[in-house]
Amino acid sequence: MSTSSLRTSWRSRPVLFRRGLATEAAAAAPSPEGKPPPRPIVRTAVILNRSPILTRTPTSLERAYYAYQARVQRALHNPFPRELYFKPGSLLESKFNLEERRRDRKAFGPGFGADHPLAPGAGVTAQDLKKFGRDVDETPAPRVHASDESGDVKSLDRKGQRNLYLLVRQKTDEGFVWRFPETAVAGKELLHESVARGLRESCGEAMDTWIVTRKPIGLYEIHPPAPIQPGDPAAPPKHTSWPVKQGQGNLSQTVAWLTKKEIAKRVNPEYWDGVKDMLSDF
Amino acid sequence: MSAAPVRAAAATATRGLRPVRKIRKLVHDQRGLPIPHVDIVVRDTHLSRLGEHYHNTLADDLLYMTYEHESGPRPPPRRIRLMYDPENPYVKLRHNPPVGGSQVGRKPAPLTTSENVVRLERIQLHTMAKDAIVSRQNLLGPIMALRALSGETEYGGGRRGSTGVQIVRGIKSVGGWVRPGIPLGAKVDLLGSKMYDFLGTLTEFVLPRLREFPGIALPPASANPQTPAGVSGVVSFGLPPEAFGFFPQIEVNLDAYPKAYGMHIHFITNARGVGAQERARQLLSGFQIPFARK
Repeated sequence: MSTSSLRTSWRSRPVLFRRGLATEAAAAAPSPEGKPPPRPIVRTAVILNRSPILTRTPTSLERAYYAYQARVQRALHNPFPRELYFKPGSLLESKFNLEERRRDRKAFGPGFGADHPLAPGAGVTAQDLKKFGRDVDETPAPRVHASDESGDVKSLDRKGQRNLYLLVRQKTDEGFVWRFPETAVAGKELLHESVARGLRESCGEAMDTWIVTRKPIGLYEIHPPAPIQPGDPAAPPKHTSWPVKQGQGNLSQTVAWLTKKEIAKRVNPEYWDGVKDMLSDF
Repeated sequence: MSAAPVRAAAATATRGLRPVRKIRKLVHDQRGLPIPHVDIVVRDTHLSRLGEHYHNTLADDLLYMTYEHESGPRPPPRRIRLMYDPENPYVKLRHNPPVGGSQVGRKPAPLTTSENVVRLERIQLHTMAKDAIVSRQNLLGPIMALRALSGETEYGGGRRGSTGVQIVRGIKSVGGWVRPGIPLGAKVDLLGSKMYDFLGTLTEFVLPRLREFPGIALPPASANPQTPAGVSGVVSFGLPPEAFGFFPQIEVNLDAYPKAYGMHIHFITNARGVGAQERARQLLSGFQIPFARK
């Protein structure tokens, strides 16, 4: 995937407005007798999303359906007003006739429609058109990026048809685990400010992103078995959706841009149960 | 064994045999071509690129952006008294508006759910030809232009809902200018994949090539958002005649049109209630339609 097509895709994202999906705040942990319940430790995580940059390839059923409908449309369409669009005998008209003949032959087989011997412009051949010069070769860019073939999960250009999410490898009590980039809410910070700070700390300043909503889009709740200590990493992180705009940023830690299916294989099963409904299926 | 069960069993056996279906012969038209038994309707012929973009990206984002977090059920709407008691037979047929004026602009927006995320329902193109008052022939140019832009014809592809390009007629009499019923302009409705195709053409070929076009003008901050237009989820703007030649469908044979026509474009969404127009603009900016404050 070339850089230009990436930029085109991200320009298509809306600018930040207001409001967002929210969930109820974390329920307080069960309190021991006589003591006020301990305040839950709130951690925020960002779901950094690279939306699809390629139109998805239709399934074989869809392709068959569209091909059938295109044939029906071709058979039933109103007569094309040639005289409105082309001067009689012009090069453009010959070119159109030739292309139309090819399309009709592909749809209905030889001898029908524009391929009929009595159809207008039936005498024009591809050899006639060559006299006027050659067309510009318009081969589209490949739909598979080099990173798809090499399996490079750090590339933002991989899997152009799918939603990708940024996961980082973080150190916890259970060892290294894959998670969304998360951080603890510091002081009187707002949730979306904490998310922004966490993303800056983990991925650097260079990453160009915009926030979709200031409210959390989901809640992953953990009830730790032992009384929790301040700064315990096993506290519920809140998630805020935040798609990346351009530039990969300074990704010094181990990161991966993964689809939903690939995330399921990397994260802990209980973490997966908590976050899977926040991600787009496609 | 009595007779009744035997009869019932025999009846079931007979019913099990399906009668042979008679094959109705196809009726042929005057040219000898067969007319099929069913109505043939042309559906989508390709995957819509912007439609996919809406379903895969915009719908999620718009749900997150427009969701209002409310705890508990909504309070019931305020009961606004009518001017006259509707039960009173003496004022039964009298015009009976609510006290305090129309409540249209104050209707709250419905709760955002995954089912009613703001979406584009149709695009209407509308052009008025002033010179059609002098001669109806001057309407042919706009009609051909709208046909070329939309690809729509009446009942096109066998779709009953397809109205094609419609003539707009004068409604009321304006002294020395318009009379009721005279043709004044043309309009066309775009739905489905054709709507998304037009939107793609507009944002990729037309708007980037307009000179000094900062974006669709937003209303001033002091504008009243509670007007009927503000709560109906429609975003409209006008394209000048200079933009006419930038549409690829027009560009190929610009010489065939007597002159360049401007047009009004209405984007009609399903957003309703207070702030509906803002939500419609959020949706459109996701399709790369630029908005700018003056």
